[in-house]
Amino acid sequence: MSDSVASDVLAVDLQITYSDFALDVAADIPLTGITALSGASGSGKTTLLRAIAGLERHAKGQVSFAGQDWTNLPAAARGVGYVFQDARLFPHLDVAGNLAYGAKRRATPAAQITAVIDALDLGPLLHRVPATLSGGETRRVALGRALASGPRILLMDEPLTGLDRARKADLMPYIARAVASFDVPALYVTHSAAEISFLADRTLNIADGQLTGWSPAVPRLIGQVVDTAPGQVELAIAGTHIWLPGHGAIDQVWTIPLGQNYLISADPPGMSNAALTLQATIDQADPGSGTLTVQIAGQHLHLPWRRLDGGVPPAGSPLWLSLPNLAARPIHTELHITDSP
Amino acid sequence: MSQGGGLWGPIWLTLQLAGMTTLILLLVATPIAWWLANTRARIRPMIEALTALPLVLPPTVLGFYLLILMSPTSAIGGFWVRLTGEALTFSFTGLVIASIFYSLPFAVQPLQAAFQSVGRGMMEAAATLGASRLDAFRSVALPLARRGVLTAAVLSFAHTVGEFGVVLMVGGNIPGSTRVISIEIYSAVETLDYRTAHVLSGGLLVFSFIVLTIVYITNQRGVRAGV
Repeated sequence: MSDSVASDVLAVDLQITYSDFALDVAADIPLTGITALSGASGSGKTTLLRAIAGLERHAKGQVSFAGQDWTNLPAAARGVGYVFQDARLFPHLDVAGNLAYGAKRRATPAAQITAVIDALDLGPLLHRVPATLSGGETRRVALGRALASGPRILLMDEPLTGLDRARKADLMPYIARAVASFDVPALYVTHSAAEISFLADRTLNIADGQLTGWSPAVPRLIGQVVDTAPGQVELAIAGTHIWLPGHGAIDQVWTIPLGQNYLISADPPGMSNAALTLQATIDQADPGSGTLTVQIAGQHLHLPWRRLDGGVPPAGSPLWLSLPNLAARPIHTELHITDSP
Repeated sequence: MSQGGGLWGPIWLTLQLAGMTTLILLLVATPIAWWLANTRARIRPMIEALTALPLVLPPTVLGFYLLILMSPTSAIGGFWVRLTGEALTFSFTGLVIASIFYSLPFAVQPLQAAFQSVGRGMMEAAATLGASRLDAFRSVALPLARRGVLTAAVLSFAHTVGEFGVVLMVGGNIPGSTRVISIEIYSAVETLDYRTAHVLSGGLLVFSFIVLTIVYITNQRGVRAGV
């Protein structure tokens, strides 16, 4: 498995056996962008993440990171940034102390620590102690602590669990921004479709301790930042320009993941309350699978078109894509070329 | 018969004994408590029982065995005589060693409880941030267990101050060397010197009360702060 391009993958071939659970997985995980590790609870996703971090003492097999053998390396020497589900901030240190803990031990440059504080808006929290932080603040600090240690890979174990929907929506852009701006690959354990839809560049599925295959990112539009304002970016995307909330830099590559929340129609929708309507052309239409391949300003998207009568519009005809609301995030530059492994 | 000025001899000796015992105990009990808090070894209950023995054994029993172990005719006691030229029994050094055994559970148990409450999770978090095990112990476990360390120190000190049976068995009643406060009280009562007995007993009573109050205040603060 790992003999293909060992230099830019995390190659795992791991077996862990407990009295009531067995994990047996082998995969080459690309070291770009965010890879979601998805499965039901008890499927072994956290155990796999812990084994990659070097926290599972009973793990057998091999782990290698970009060609470097990690199998016998202790957790402290692997250089991972681990965001625990329960955050695990050090209660005896304030936020600044928590950020400095890994930064000091891995000699992170001061500029990067400042960048982490900025990217996650941690400045106002620096002198607070963990017991006084809200749930969302705690998660941001946990992510910041991992990033401030200058990790080679970010391992996140359901970092948004236990937060309400609004808080999750607030925090997801932070995660996307942090991963993109520090150019660190991330493995993101979740079972939330919303998180996968917004954050994942690809998904590795796991069930009952076995990997069950890859899923590509959800259909998404890719564009570029052409202008910025405080808290906003202007994207040139799919032949149009649009201002969106977010923090970015000019020329950064951004994506608008469509998720499940969009409408496609064969006729122009006219006036609607959609945040964005784009005109597309149908490249291919497959009535059997109910899938359309559409082209929007040079980008190709595969979109399901499922109707009870099985009818699909013919290839070459125009199509309108309406997005009721917009959420965008920065992605790793290479990802608009290869979307899935 | 003790005069007013003579009271300070036993008091000073007791403080020296308790201070030195506490210091050594913290060093000895910390690794034992850490191991007990983290191990899944099958012999753990036996080691736990061993460290707790001084809680249930009559001090005379403990003192009797220590006396035999430390006597110049035994292997350990004989080795000490060859090494230093002096016997362990009926000496201040012998008292310190005996006190370490006698007060061991009072140091191990609060430390073990404190280390257990730190939990594996904090140590894992420290490890993923690049801390070695010793570093994580020093920078995370020890600060989080600080109330346990304080409790262990205070209880070890107080318990050593109050020991009687073991001291009498191992140390006897030698002024300036092994005559600690509790022995002095015993001697005073035997010689009907009730004034001395009153002063020292009252002092110990107040001291013990203050010490225990400090321990409970510390623990109560810990509960309120959620640490």
